[in-house]
Amino acid sequence: MSLPQAVLDFLNENAQREGNPAPGPNDDLFKDGALDSFALIDFVTLLEEHTGIKVPDKDVNPGNFQTLDAVERYIETHKG
Amino acid sequence: MPAFIIGSGTSIPDRVVSNEEIAPSLGLDPEQIFKSSGILRRRWAEAGTTTSALASVALQTAITDAGVLPEEIDYLIFGTMTPDRLIPGSAPTVQRTLGLGQIPCLDIRQACCNPLYALQIATALIGSNLASRVAICLAEIQSAWLDMSPESGTTSMLFGDGASALIVSGDTSSNSLEVIDIALATDGSYVDDLGVRGPGTEFGTAASGNENSKPRMVGQSVILNASRKIMAACQDVLKRNSLQVADIRWLVPHQANANLLAQIARGLHFPVENGGLISVLEDLGNTSSASMGIALDSLRRSARISPGDYLLLPAFGAGFSWGAGLCRATS
Repeated sequence: MSLPQAVLDFLNENAQREGNPAPGPNDDLFKDGALDSFALIDFVTLLEEHTGIKVPDKDVNPGNFQTLDAVERYIETHKG
Repeated sequence: MPAFIIGSGTSIPDRVVSNEEIAPSLGLDPEQIFKSSGILRRRWAEAGTTTSALASVALQTAITDAGVLPEEIDYLIFGTMTPDRLIPGSAPTVQRTLGLGQIPCLDIRQACCNPLYALQIATALIGSNLASRVAICLAEIQSAWLDMSPESGTTSMLFGDGASALIVSGDTSSNSLEVIDIALATDGSYVDDLGVRGPGTEFGTAASGNENSKPRMVGQSVILNASRKIMAACQDVLKRNSLQVADIRWLVPHQANANLLAQIARGLHFPVENGGLISVLEDLGNTSSASMGIALDSLRRSARISPGDYLLLPAFGAGFSWGAGLCRATS
């Protein structure tokens, strides 16, 4: 699957603001500046809005959303 | 009977502590501290300064600002997490220092939500004719409790010392703010995610020098819950007063972290371009109980509030406790 464009735009804009290129599938989103502890909250809200999944509070941690591949895996596993 | 904030005051210690000064011992980079918190510097009190001493100065300023006499204050509420003593509370010391009458003195310990709890209690006291002029002290000396090792770096980098005070009255005056509503909530499932465990009956009575006496913060849990619960509280208090975010001129949050403040504004679609989001974080850091009062005092003294302006006051803290207050400037 591919991630919704709004989600990718959010990550790409954050990375670019930090002077980094758009992250690739296995790039660390937290090292590239695409995500940090605060952006993660907005990111999860976007994911919920655009994919229909519900991310429980206990899952909102960097370990689940470290790379684009990890995000895709999370969505696949949590689709209804 | 309505209640009005008719005076405010602040007391800030002289000593400026920059990110450059604390970064090495915390194992952090100064720029990293600023980027992750919006804080450039904070103030720390000199060793031996008591919280009540700082609070007394703020309250004297607020009494003068309100144009009332100390003997007209008929109730004192003191919100702090860092009291002078374990017993009694710090309010009696302020009562003695300022020569207030032999009035009820109440300490509360709702952490960063202290301003909202104090305002709700003051409003209820006035509304029920149990008091007519309530003094509120909000003060912290946190520097003495901080663990300045890398283990606590991302927590200890945030905190500063300071005090604020408010006078709440049943009578309005010029430059006063009517307290319209206060919404409060708590979820005790998170008692261990933010706070200090000891001394106490659960983790032992040793006052310092052990793991339980250090401030604890589970960062991601705090950020997640703070952003979601603050927004929910704001929307709740607006809805039950038939208001929209667009009706709010000033957003005066608990000063936790600049990134959180920005996120709240973004989540609420509150426009920040017109300077409506009040932040004192850059220069003062997170002063916990005192922070919202300091921000509110700085706004009142800037003379930028116009009659009829609505102010939204959200807070989140240990417990987890959270809420939002709504005030309106009188004409």
